[in-house]
Amino acid sequence: MTTPAQANGAATPGNPGGAASPAPAPGGAPVAAPTKDSAGVRGLIFLRDRGIFVLWLLLIIVFAVWANPYFGTLNNAILIANAAAISAIFAAGVAVGIICGALDLSIPGVAALSSCVTGWMVIHDMPVWLALVVGLVIGVVIGFINGVISLRGFNPIIVTIAMLSVTSALAAIVAGGYTIPGLSKLDFMGTQRYLGVPAPVWIAAGVFIVGTVFLTKTRDGIRLMAVGGSAEAVRRSGIHSDRYKVMAFMISSGCAALGGLVTTATVTEANPNASPALIFTALTAVALAGVSLVGGRGSLPRVAVGALVLATIANGLTIKGIQPYWATGATGLLLLGSLALDRSLTRTVSQRLMATAQASVHTGTR
Amino acid sequence: MTATTTTAALELSGIDMHYGYVRALDSIDFRVGQGEVVGLLGDNGAGKSTLLKIMSGAHRPTGGTVKVHGDEVELHSPSAATEAGIQMVYQDLALVEALDIATNLNIGREILRPGLFGLLGFVDHKAQRKRSEAELDKLGVRTAAMTRPVEMLSGGQRQVVALARSATRVTGEQNGILLLDEPTAALGYEQTQVVQALVRRMADQGIAIVLVTHNLQLAGAVCDRMVVLNRGKKVADVRTEDTDNDHIVGWITGARPSMFD
Ligand SMILES: Nc1ncnc2c1ncn2[C@@H]1O[C@H](COP(=O)(O)OP(=O)(O)OP(=O)(O)O)[C@@H](O)[C@H]1O
Ligand SMILES: [Mg+2]
Repeated sequence: MTTPAQANGAATPGNPGGAASPAPAPGGAPVAAPTKDSAGVRGLIFLRDRGIFVLWLLLIIVFAVWANPYFGTLNNAILIANAAAISAIFAAGVAVGIICGALDLSIPGVAALSSCVTGWMVIHDMPVWLALVVGLVIGVVIGFINGVISLRGFNPIIVTIAMLSVTSALAAIVAGGYTIPGLSKLDFMGTQRYLGVPAPVWIAAGVFIVGTVFLTKTRDGIRLMAVGGSAEAVRRSGIHSDRYKVMAFMISSGCAALGGLVTTATVTEANPNASPALIFTALTAVALAGVSLVGGRGSLPRVAVGALVLATIANGLTIKGIQPYWATGATGLLLLGSLALDRSLTRTVSQRLMATAQASVHTGTR
Repeated sequence: MTATTTTAALELSGIDMHYGYVRALDSIDFRVGQGEVVGLLGDNGAGKSTLLKIMSGAHRPTGGTVKVHGDEVELHSPSAATEAGIQMVYQDLALVEALDIATNLNIGREILRPGLFGLLGFVDHKAQRKRSEAELDKLGVRTAAMTRPVEMLSGGQRQVVALARSATRVTGEQNGILLLDEPTAALGYEQTQVVQALVRRMADQGIAIVLVTHNLQLAGAVCDRMVVLNRGKKVADVRTEDTDNDHIVGWITGARPSMFD
């Protein structure tokens, strides 16, 4: 949210201070119009807000050279995008939850339950569209329940852990304890390619575009972010912050259901086992993207790149024939490094800004 | 500058407040006129915050009446107070750190884009920035770029944003009433000057202001009138030009006898 605005702000000095103030403060120092930041500060802010894009670019360059000629091909790019797509959808859900101040741990369970219900409906020859709609609605409804329970003052982490158990159990019951195979009717949103690009990539792209526009351009999205930053601020503005908390849970679970359905379509079977690894991958992507766990900040495009970074590392190392546990370790170090960088950049920026900060009052009282 | 209207913007009479056996306020009379700044002074625990919370609807008094523009009202909740045109700026500013100044100033009263996008809930960021810029200009403050996130502002700038957020919701034309609890407690000299000028500006535009502070210098500089509480009782209610620091300190500490005994 802050990033595009920041970019604009630096470029548009608005109305310069001198023109608007009818009488410059008499006797006082000429009132500077601090509406424009120095190039250095802008550079630092850019690095802080877009650092992950830079990191991704560096990774691509390194692998393109190191794993020449296999890495830098269009086909491999599509592979990476496809590998990132599903975890990106889950990451979007996790991110929206965290941005609004709630970590939703029920995501793997919701994904499993939605998959199994949809899978069950498909093999029982119900219309595919209906099965998909039901699967998604289940996700959104569980999010609603999570939200409403959390609002009663229960810790959302515990509530969603409980919901994780409940949904996994329900998934197993629906599936009868085994995976539901033979769901090739869902191919169109699994392995099918459109314009050469696999369906999951299109779906993930759609989720991120809609999500980004929602969070940065619409009233509800902006309020949702504001609630995560300071529920009190929103309440004092006369808005019921509860509504937005529940909305965040619903979006989070909705993304979980969608991610589950896309997974199911890709492997053509519905698995009732909720995989906790899923939430950790998503969380890693979210954290890499600099989404603060305290809430209130974060941007979905960065989360998408976070998921892409993870997929790129895994892909590059696989091409080089390096064991996957090295990729896991590298990701961990990367995460720690990005945290340190983010912290130091934020510090430097605010120190620089503070040094030049002045709230000026052109009344002549001072 | 003094109140020009005869009916007070906000008038409290005979306010009692008991917290269990603690008598936090004892039969307090208080009034503030449109365009007037009244300082509310007193030692720690004198009851200043309690009185302010009653005015803001956060607490209900045990006894007494509250009148807004001459009409008796029941401020049973903060939102009831907001509806009556009363805004409170708390000591913790409650700004949204990660969002920019314009968004902070506009939250809850967003401008939507015209046409279909508006129906879909799309916000007109440009119009919001413009409006906020105009409002800050009217208040005579220029803080920083409207698109600067609040987390990158200095303490004084944040205070200005928090004050402006309330001020823009209670303008002078709407006979607004603004309650400020220690607006300069965390600020240095320079920044206190900025806030002081802003408070004066808002009063000059017709807003009624109640200012709780421990800073006598600030009170002397911006208040038209000062009310001193001592252990839940009102011991002084004087125009600023009719008093001096020593008297005020005397009333605050209890060394000077109450004006009303
Ligand atoms: N929620 C409460 N429950 C019980 N007693 C309270 C409560 N709030 C305040 N009091 C008591 O009421 C009295 C007045 O408190 P208040 O907070 O209004 O003082 P104050 O003038 O704002 O002091 P300070 O300058 O320290 O902020 C004190 O004796 C305090 O202990
Ligand atoms: Mg107090």
